[in-house]
Amino acid sequence: MKIFHYLNFAIIILFLIAICILEEVMVSSSLRQTQKDCFMIDASVERLESVKNMEVALMVDNLEYDWKKNESNMCYLVNHKSIQEIGQEIAKLKLYIASDDVDNFKVSIEVIKFYCHSYLHFMGANIHNVL
Amino acid sequence: MLTIILRSIIIYLIVLLVFRLMGKRQLGQMQPFELVLTLIIADLATIPMAEVSVPVLHGIIPLLTLVVLHFVLTLLTKTSTFLSKVVSGKPVIIINPKGIDYKAMKNLNLSTDDLFGALRECGYFSIDQVQYAIMETNGKVSIMPKAESAPATNGDLKLKVDESFLPITLVSEGKIMNENMALAGVDKEKIEKIVKSQGGSKIKDVLLLTIDKTGSSYIQLMKGEGKSFSLSEVKA
Repeated sequence: MKIFHYLNFAIIILFLIAICILEEVMVSSSLRQTQKDCFMIDASVERLESVKNMEVALMVDNLEYDWKKNESNMCYLVNHKSIQEIGQEIAKLKLYIASDDVDNFKVSIEVIKFYCHSYLHFMGANIHNVL
Repeated sequence: MLTIILRSIIIYLIVLLVFRLMGKRQLGQMQPFELVLTLIIADLATIPMAEVSVPVLHGIIPLLTLVVLHFVLTLLTKTSTFLSKVVSGKPVIIINPKGIDYKAMKNLNLSTDDLFGALRECGYFSIDQVQYAIMETNGKVSIMPKAESAPATNGDLKLKVDESFLPITLVSEGKIMNENMALAGVDKEKIEKIVKSQGGSKIKDVLLLTIDKTGSSYIQLMKGEGKSFSLSEVKA
């Protein structure tokens, strides 16, 4: 009976460790992937000096696809409200493509990059977050 | 709404598991750290239940962390007397043969009203009856009465009485307690015979049937009064 009791706690501890590792890996890889996509879009926009073209549209579609996939996984671990702004900014990007609004497009990309950077800092276990 | 219902079920099951793992202590028997833990658990459990944007894991992880912490703390307090005193405190004598220890009472933030209330709860209405009163670590007061106020025991009266045994429940609310039948050394047929001999027609008519090692039994039918009888009265 005592062994069973200790076993229960060993399982709980292993579960907690597994969740911590999973969160660290999943959240950071998802946000870094989004950051990487944004940097690529940024580079393309700089080169083409326009957003109303097939290349940027495909990249934004790719960003949206990746984000939706990652967001649904992240919702198991992260407060949904904390990450919904990124989705909103990606939706805005599509509108800016339709109107070829380069300035606002760049602003939205910067906002996404900023959110990703902030969340990477906010979600990791460091002394600032703990205290 | 369905999400909230499902989340509530999950959290309820987790809280149930948490309390099972923590043990069966009741509120009045809790050590200070256990009471704090219970309050935190109650608060933590409600957050993911009502807030759909918060993942259920945000409720489960702190709950499980607290269980592990409680387990570790319990283990440490069992192995270290010093730590046990730090975490749970130590029993304090508040009444001794000289009277009330006012300094101890002040340290415990205890008023004389609280003290008299605790004495009355233990059945002592005058402080003259009390030799020692000890405030336990769980907040309860234990009393050792003065010799003249202590209830007389069979030993004091030099009476020879038979040892009593724990009664085993054989039937409760019309249902046979299968696991207790082997303990009592009876089978279903025997129980049916007992029920019929005591005025019942079937086992479902029985509210409670208990038996102890000496054969002393108690039965109460659903419609009727309870009565004691000896198993030897029942014909084989």
